[in-house]
Amino acid sequence: MTMLVRTSLWCAGLALAVAIVAYPLYANGYYLALGISVLYFTILATAWAMFSGPTRYISLATVAFFGLGAYTAAVLGETTPWPVVLLAAAGVGAVTAAITGLSTLRLSGIYFVIFSFGLAELIRQLVIWYEVNIHKSVGRYLFSAVTQDILYWQLLGLTALVFLVGWLLGRSRYGLALRAIGADETAASHSGIDATRVKLGVFILSATFMAMTGAVMAPRWTYIDPAIAFNPTISFQVVIMALLGGAGSLFGPVLGVIPLVLLFEVLTATLPNHFSIVLGIIFVLIVMVLPNGVIGLFGAGRRHVPAGAPAAAFARTMDDAPLLAVEGVSKSFSGLRAVDGVSFTVAPGEIIGIIGPNGSGKTTLLNTLSGALRPSSGTIRFGGTVLTGLRAHQIARLGLARTFQLVRVMPDLTVAENVATARLFSAPASSSGSDTTGRELLDLVGLGAMHDAPARELTYIDQKRLELARALALRPHLMLLDEWLAGLNPSELETGIALIAKLRERGLTIIMVEHVMDAIRALCGHCIVMNAGSVIARGAPDEVLSDPKVVAAYLGGDDA
Amino acid sequence: MFSANRRTLLRATGLVAFATALGTFASAADAQEKIRIGYAISKTGPYAGGAGITTLPNYELWVKDVNAAGGIKLGDKKLPIEVVEYDDRSSSEEAVKAIERLANQDKVDFILSPWSTGLNLAVGPTLNRLGYPHLAVTSVTDKAPELAKRWSNATFWLGTSAQISEALADLLGKLKSDGKIGARIAMVSIADQFGIELSAAGREAFKKHGFTLTYDKTYPMGTQDLQPLLKDAVASTPDAFVAFSYPPDTIALTEQAQLLKFNPKVFYVGVGTAFPLYKGKFAANSDGVMGIGGWNADSPQLKEYLARHKAATGKEPDRWASSITYASLQVLQQAIEKVGKVDRAAVAAEIRSGTFDTIIGKIKLKDGLLQEVWGVGQWQNGEFYALAPASLPGARAPVVPKPQWQ
Amino acid sequence: MLLVDIILPGLVLGGMYALIALGLTLQYGVARIMNLSYGESLVAAAFGALSLYSGLGLSPLVALLLAVPVAMMLNWLLYRFLLERLMRRGKDRGAQEIDSILVTFGVLFVIQGAMLVAFGGQYYSYSYLSIPLTILGSTLAVNRLVALLFAALVGGAVYLALTRTRIGTAVRAIAVDATAARLVGIDVAALSGLAFAFGGGLVAVGGVLVSMFLTFNAAMGVVFTMKALVVVIMGGVGNVMGALVAGLLLGVVETAVARLVDPGLTLAATYALFLGVLLIKPTGLFGRAAS
Repeated sequence: MTMLVRTSLWCAGLALAVAIVAYPLYANGYYLALGISVLYFTILATAWAMFSGPTRYISLATVAFFGLGAYTAAVLGETTPWPVVLLAAAGVGAVTAAITGLSTLRLSGIYFVIFSFGLAELIRQLVIWYEVNIHKSVGRYLFSAVTQDILYWQLLGLTALVFLVGWLLGRSRYGLALRAIGADETAASHSGIDATRVKLGVFILSATFMAMTGAVMAPRWTYIDPAIAFNPTISFQVVIMALLGGAGSLFGPVLGVIPLVLLFEVLTATLPNHFSIVLGIIFVLIVMVLPNGVIGLFGAGRRHVPAGAPAAAFARTMDDAPLLAVEGVSKSFSGLRAVDGVSFTVAPGEIIGIIGPNGSGKTTLLNTLSGALRPSSGTIRFGGTVLTGLRAHQIARLGLARTFQLVRVMPDLTVAENVATARLFSAPASSSGSDTTGRELLDLVGLGAMHDAPARELTYIDQKRLELARALALRPHLMLLDEWLAGLNPSELETGIALIAKLRERGLTIIMVEHVMDAIRALCGHCIVMNAGSVIARGAPDEVLSDPKVVAAYLGGDDA
Repeated sequence: MFSANRRTLLRATGLVAFATALGTFASAADAQEKIRIGYAISKTGPYAGGAGITTLPNYELWVKDVNAAGGIKLGDKKLPIEVVEYDDRSSSEEAVKAIERLANQDKVDFILSPWSTGLNLAVGPTLNRLGYPHLAVTSVTDKAPELAKRWSNATFWLGTSAQISEALADLLGKLKSDGKIGARIAMVSIADQFGIELSAAGREAFKKHGFTLTYDKTYPMGTQDLQPLLKDAVASTPDAFVAFSYPPDTIALTEQAQLLKFNPKVFYVGVGTAFPLYKGKFAANSDGVMGIGGWNADSPQLKEYLARHKAATGKEPDRWASSITYASLQVLQQAIEKVGKVDRAAVAAEIRSGTFDTIIGKIKLKDGLLQEVWGVGQWQNGEFYALAPASLPGARAPVVPKPQWQ
Repeated sequence: MLLVDIILPGLVLGGMYALIALGLTLQYGVARIMNLSYGESLVAAAFGALSLYSGLGLSPLVALLLAVPVAMMLNWLLYRFLLERLMRRGKDRGAQEIDSILVTFGVLFVIQGAMLVAFGGQYYSYSYLSIPLTILGSTLAVNRLVALLFAALVGGAVYLALTRTRIGTAVRAIAVDATAARLVGIDVAALSGLAFAFGGGLVAVGGVLVSMFLTFNAAMGVVFTMKALVVVIMGGVGNVMGALVAGLLLGVVETAVARLVDPGLTLAATYALFLGVLLIKPTGLFGRAAS
């Protein structure tokens, strides 16, 4: 029975594929033109969602790449073989995306949206200026023998390619990395993901498809000028279609493209003079009724979790030299010295506690260690490597992991995916026998049963556990715990302390910033006390906690 | 059971409605009782401004006029026109798609052209392949002769950029040799194909007549303030100011020139000068302003056309491409009537070879191009009279120097 | 001399840009609605002024008294019955932004369609206060000066209202963090609606004033939307002073490039300036540093 269903589904799919490929053979000119519209918006919207879906960077630069592709075709089209033209267009798109992406991708939210729009306009203005002053003519003519059939098949090929690439990307570690970045860029880079490079790579990929679409479409219009090639409504339409369909999944955008193209068609035909009003009203209604896009009607698709390195260990082999050596590290924020000349070393296998009143610079110190902040002066050595100046993901990949004071999980990803992010770009597992799989890590922190739950559904405590598991998945030599025990109730606290002790037994070195003194006493062999950015005491916990200077710092001064 | 049936029924109704909307059920063409004419025009988007003044009102007026007279005569029968219209949303792709739709779905007998050079060129290959006569009225390009050769179904009606610029240069050259103006010209142009072609041709033609260009700059489309540009043009103390501009800029340049009390002997601005809007806005100050286009306002046919246009659409036509658009439709009608049946190839050939009687006079195209087109007009006493080429019948003498702004 | 002749007209042009952008500062910056139909509302106000002027002979400056309350009312209704639902529905700011983009895209078509039915696609223009005024040797149009004056006055007033009054402080709190604002007892929905409506009123001011000197048609809204967005973003979202300064700066740069470099590069220069500012200060001239 199921066999039968499956076979008939396959047959139906195959028939559909044949019907789509053979479409020009039986469709008349108009339906073919309609098919061309659907395909060309499908490529643009899918390529757009490839980057913008997971990262949530809403880009209005689509038409910049599309237009550059169209222009490349218009310039080269009549003199160069067509495949070369397509490659050239892809190249122009990729190079422009690389240059602009480098500068653009550090912006976020609305700033990125409008920047990308400004970028498209700037490119358009520069093309105009070039054409007027250098080429002495703004419009370019491109006469070609491309029929609608050939155009359709070219677009269909490109559509297949964009889906294939999108599918492969989704399965690859870059796909998950991109979603991790979209969910929480800081957490992602502290999990060893080079956010800039991943974003840039996918941005370039997406722009390449847009440029090729432009090149394929250009011959259809005979005449290309900047107003046609760089028409900003194309960017808007693509965004609208992708968002309407659902930008979060590969097949979401096409579900927005088809109804919108058809809706435009039906309305222009039936109501040429009131088309705008009716379209607008229908559009508003659709948005009000479908909060998650058209794809939301079908339920979100299941996602593939890339396996990453097959097994990950969290304690690497080490020697006896200090694992971490901090020398005279300071960090100032516009004159305020948050960390002032701090020095200490950490031996392998040790747990060091950093304590001190609120605002004494503990978290800032951790941030300089993990690469979130660059120290104003001083050096940090980690197993022989100088960390100063390295970026967060590089430090993470060296085996220095951290958790955050305000817990940072990637809410849209499942528990398993959260852990997997940390293994995407780490070095292959060492051959020593201490390797641990992601599932084992989750068992270790007590989340074994939550494997497939989205992280946003976890309780606060479980999110903290997840964060720890993710940090462990980096196979770190050194773990920085920033008030990981804060906010736990007494029994949870007990479990937490036992867990950290277990990690130490496994050979992990730990620096913990903590206010829970029982935990410090129970776990740390050595303590550093900070006040106003400086170290005011160091030694065994009981020793430093009875130091009058420390008591004074906690109680606030003069009474001591 | 009932609900399932109802759902199926609903779905079927939906499908039928959808298919109807897409135009699958084009009217069955047994005995022809109507002539179906289709067009896609920019009702929205950046081209809506131009299409809304020059093209669409004339299509509507012509259909009304023809149907009021009983229709187009095919053989011994008069067939009324039935219109199918779409909005191309100022997009090349939409325009191409709409043409395919008109031809394949609506199976219209004839297709009228969209507005603008870009859209006309975009639909050119499609109309050519489908064999529809293409009266590309609102396209101005130096490639027109070549295009007319390439597409035997296509005809061009506004002349080339070179013709327009040369008409202007000839006029100014004559004024110079008559001693009415000096040899200094300031020229600005919009950074669009139209402005670039006209200014390139103008540059050459002005040089040929011994003019010096004291200022020669382009500005991008969408510039909100043209005063800086104009100030530098003023500072170059020209005898004639020439702007190959688009409607919003044409208005803005005129307004700024008045503010700056810039009174060159010749003040020539581009598209939009011939619009009734121009006269409406500047009233007496429009007097003496030259611009692209013009018409022979004394002709009784045009006077009558003006009245009909006003009555039918509630507004006056522009004095450049409007009357030519209308005339091109008359040509289409007469060509159909001469052929006597809906034979598009024959009609296209007839349009190219025949002689026609229209509101702008007798028309005979040469190589698919209308040759007798006005390049320069001038507002004189509230009417935009054609000045050049002076060889054309009805050309008026220019009023130079232009009266001072009031 | 040339300097004065660049700076004064530049400021006047910039005043218009600032004026166009003021409403969006409130609508986007405070009410968190990325309003794509912004430009259409502006053009609608311009048509309103035109109709009152040509129909009743009403001065555009008087028309303001009518246009602003009407626009505020309409925008309030729009917020109350459409946008507020989206704000409640969106689980984070990103989702709210996406929803508001989509819905206002629909609204854009409705407004534009209505204007097309009423006025058709062709250009409109009329003259009001198109009188030259020479200041320090530089000739300026009175109507454009009025726009600059309004931009400065309205901008200044809004700035003071936001910084010096209780309600203004509450509104700014929403702009910074709506959730936290709710926690300290601010009625976010009501105040956002108010800010959106007030922004709508400012759009009407912009539309009525620019109609005195710009040629417009029903399809031109997007030009204004984009210009306003550029100004708002460049100034820093939600910062009225930022929008004023950014607008004026863009105007001066555009004029300077036209006079000193090449009029063909004016728009390229403004976009380059905009992109440059964002590269150096990713949250705009007066934006808060990203945390």
